[in-house]
Amino acid sequence: MKKSAVFFFATFLFLSFGETFLFAQSDPVPPALVMDDDELQTQLKAVSKTLRCAVCQSESVWESNATLAIQMRDIVRERLLAGETPDEIRAYFVSRYGDYIVFKPRFRGLNLLLWGGPFILLVFGGVILLRNLRNWTRPQPETTQASQQALLEPIDEKQRRRLEQELR
Amino acid sequence: MKGFSIWHAFLLIGLLGLVMLFYQGLWGDPTALPPVIIEEAAAEVVAPDLYSGDEFRLSEHLGKVVVLNFWASWCLECKLEHKFLLAIQKRYENRPDFVMYGVNYQDKPHLAKAYLEEYGNNFAHVVDMKGKISIDYGVYGVPETFVIDKKGIIRHKQIGPILGDVYSNLLENVIDPLLNEPGLTS
Repeated sequence: MKKSAVFFFATFLFLSFGETFLFAQSDPVPPALVMDDDELQTQLKAVSKTLRCAVCQSESVWESNATLAIQMRDIVRERLLAGETPDEIRAYFVSRYGDYIVFKPRFRGLNLLLWGGPFILLVFGGVILLRNLRNWTRPQPETTQASQQALLEPIDEKQRRRLEQELR
Repeated sequence: MKGFSIWHAFLLIGLLGLVMLFYQGLWGDPTALPPVIIEEAAAEVVAPDLYSGDEFRLSEHLGKVVVLNFWASWCLECKLEHKFLLAIQKRYENRPDFVMYGVNYQDKPHLAKAYLEEYGNNFAHVVDMKGKISIDYGVYGVPETFVIDKKGIIRHKQIGPILGDVYSNLLENVIDPLLNEPGLTS
């Protein structure tokens, strides 16, 4: 009974901690490297999401499973590992495929029209709207006089008779 | 012109601009891609030969007109243009300042070899193992062909197959004039 209790306790200890002792040496991945991998994956995702899959319809390199997208992801990973910044990696792809390859157009050249266009149109439309509103709300002397005159004019005989009939 | 202010003039100019933009969009080629890497230095190509596995380096061919044709055995249009590629190689095979290489793209070597056996072959081919070469050259799909001048500058990019008029244009207006240009030593 005593022997079996010791055996049971030893088995329990082995199952609980034995794996740690036995395999600690065979698993050389330090926690810091695992964290780096996570960071790499996060950066890979962030950069790949900003790149358009060149052969897909409105899909990012991150989302697409096309062979070209997979190869582009591999290149992003390689370049991140080589120490390139996300902007440098995007610049590389733009130099190969043009602005089309990035979802967010660069702030330069004709792209400025894309970036600034809506704001320019907003200001322009606002100014026009303001001017028109001012015109609409400004009192018009001729119109006022005419409408006042119309108010003062007595109703004609036909209308008067109809009114009297309906009020009877 | 009572009531025609500077704002109306701006509005008119803006509208005209939009109309021009839409007009261009209507009549332009929607499949046209920007020629991004034309007139730029060709990226180095280091790749194994399809048959021998020997390393090919593009930089070793500086001083020659280089034609790089990206192709794959699964590509139907590649099959259409293949005899035209064979004709290009045949036309310039005696010129020491010309070289043509096929770049096998997203393919399997045994399928690529079977394809060449079936359709014929008279020029060398390298394998783009991880797609790095094709991405370096901004390749969207196959077939695509690049012509690089003797100074290592990309002078022409052909998206789609080399057939008919495209073939004639490539020979007469691209390769022939580039071969007549002085090399590095001249």
